Amino acid sequence: MSPQRKVAVIGLDCVPPELAFDRWRDELPTLKRLTEQGCWGKLKSVVPPITVPAWSCMMSSRDPGELGIYGFRNRKDHSYDGLAFATATAVREDRVWDILGRAGKQVIVLAVPGTYPPAPVNGCLVGCFLTPSAESDYAYPAALKAELTGRFGAYRLDVENFRSDEKERILEQIYQMTEQHFAMARHLVTTRPWDFFMMVEMGTDRIHHAFWKFSDPAHRKYEKGNKFEHAIRDYYRFVDAQVAGLLPLLGDDTSVFVVSDHGAQNMEGGICVNEWLTREGYLALAEPVAGPTPIGQAKLDWSRTRAWGEGGYYSRIFLNVRGREPQGVIPPGEYEAVREELRRKFEAMLDEKGRPLGTRVFKPEEVYRVVRGVPPDLIVYFGNLRWRSVGSLGLGTVHTFENDTGPDDANHSEYGIFILREPGLKSRRVEGLSLMDIAPTILDRFGIAPPAGMQGKVIQGS
Amino acid sequence: MTNDGQPKGQRGTRGVTLWFTGLPCSGKSTVSQIIYDELKKRGGRVELLDGDEVRTRLTKGLGFSKEDRDENIRRIGYVCHLLTRNGVIAIAAAISPYRAIRDEVRKMVGSFVEIYADCPLEVCIQRDVKGMYKKALAGEMKEFTGISDPYEAPLHPEVTLRTDQETPEASAARLLRRLEEMGYLPGGAAVPEPYTPEEEAAIRRRLEQLGYL
Repeated sequence: MSPQRKVAVIGLDCVPPELAFDRWRDELPTLKRLTEQGCWGKLKSVVPPITVPAWSCMMSSRDPGELGIYGFRNRKDHSYDGLAFATATAVREDRVWDILGRAGKQVIVLAVPGTYPPAPVNGCLVGCFLTPSAESDYAYPAALKAELTGRFGAYRLDVENFRSDEKERILEQIYQMTEQHFAMARHLVTTRPWDFFMMVEMGTDRIHHAFWKFSDPAHRKYEKGNKFEHAIRDYYRFVDAQVAGLLPLLGDDTSVFVVSDHGAQNMEGGICVNEWLTREGYLALAEPVAGPTPIGQAKLDWSRTRAWGEGGYYSRIFLNVRGREPQGVIPPGEYEAVREELRRKFEAMLDEKGRPLGTRVFKPEEVYRVVRGVPPDLIVYFGNLRWRSVGSLGLGTVHTFENDTGPDDANHSEYGIFILREPGLKSRRVEGLSLMDIAPTILDRFGIAPPAGMQGKVIQGS
Repeated sequence: MTNDGQPKGQRGTRGVTLWFTGLPCSGKSTVSQIIYDELKKRGGRVELLDGDEVRTRLTKGLGFSKEDRDENIRRIGYVCHLLTRNGVIAIAAAISPYRAIRDEVRKMVGSFVEIYADCPLEVCIQRDVKGMYKKALAGEMKEFTGISDPYEAPLHPEVTLRTDQETPEASAARLLRRLEEMGYLPGGAAVPEPYTPEEEAAIRRRLEQLGYL
């Protein structure tokens, strides 16, 4: 591939290939046209397929273990409550824009997860949805914030009060947020010199979590003919139109990527992981809980607790190891045996009707090239992510169909989307792509060899 | 790197000697190289003295008698001592079979972490990276540690790596965590948070609502 002048990446968080390429292919003329002008396919995410760390993995071509970022919050040490948010400062590896900036390329980075607080770049950067508020200093250079606020109003970071049945309000907020972000994108690419542009839109993730049950007949709460039956499809059309509005501003000779960090699927229910650990004899309470109680607020009897878990779209299991945790009980020599026993039991879990759940369990050192920071001892996908992990205790059941934090209809899935449109490319479906491949491929388009240690490969256009 | 050319995550480190000891082919060089690369990446001041390489320079000419082996270790130890007192993380990976000389180096250096690459002899023989065990077992090499020369395992190493039971990466990760816990390294992923307590509470609420936590 001869070096080209410009690369643009449009990130659409959580878009699954099943919707973009299959179910609604003909509803999304812009994405369809891009696939007809380039190569495209499923993009394999990382373990875990979660916004943080997935976008930073994609942009650095390093796996979560190498980044030492295993989720939004990570253990700082082996204490029981030392969880720290993984913000931009936790990302120690170069991301594509760092490398390009040093090579003299001008970059625009807009709302890419893992960019708050904003770090200097050779160009401009607008921090991601982990910015605390629209009043925070989220831009580099700092003066950019006033410019954007003056034109587009307060930065719409995310949907507020998301866990709610006020679906009309949530839908409106998602549209407003997406509209503003694409307007900012159009503004930035037309007012600043750039070689590399990247944005990530989170609305595509939010709409899945809030509206999946209304549109998926396979969802246990689906009702045919409901008011929001087409909410996701209509929003996808809207996003497709937003992409259409941006494309002419990017230039015909520009390599344009449209990518997502993971997919989405029907959420069948939740597994109360700590309830299960209690029943299996791994976790003991010092005092009984009165009703549903987050694990962090329950009083655990650490002298009788061997393992506990975190809630979320997937579960992280931590073992209470003597000499490692403050009141550890598992002798170090038995650590591996306990971990293996737990893995086998998780894998053998059944659903509420006694059918195999199909749970997958990962040991960090088996899936990552290097394991940095304080990793979980096990990473668990209940029902291969068709079930979420519920961390609260006191629900009185292992299987739940009501979330401990409010309604949510979708969970993540392992594959996102990849489209690359480039002059001279023939339309081609490509197999075997990984999100690790994106950063080396971007660098390749600038004629820059991927640095040693990047885990992905260059995707050849032809 | 940020675009002002400063490595990301650059932090001050205090000097320490990481002393790997173990049988030939027990994994000392492999794990110490991973540790070296990682510490370099973190922006630390770090130097690696690998036994095989040192014998071609610093201790060239020394043989494998007990006296020569002790002298070899004493010289490596002295370089580690100089590096350590100047705030460098010095990594030594040498068989260093004799307990007494290792303890002598420990005393000289002060800030000293003994890391025992514990691997059964039969596994080391299977690995036999350079075919040395084969030669020693055939009687072609005299004074070969583990076969025709003794190895005295540490009695109280700070860290023991079971290199036959875990991958080099897992050994390295465990060692790094231990160094963090011992205060020789700033805590791995634990970086100062950019949020105030109020901001953090707001972000946590938002992420809980979004289903991430």
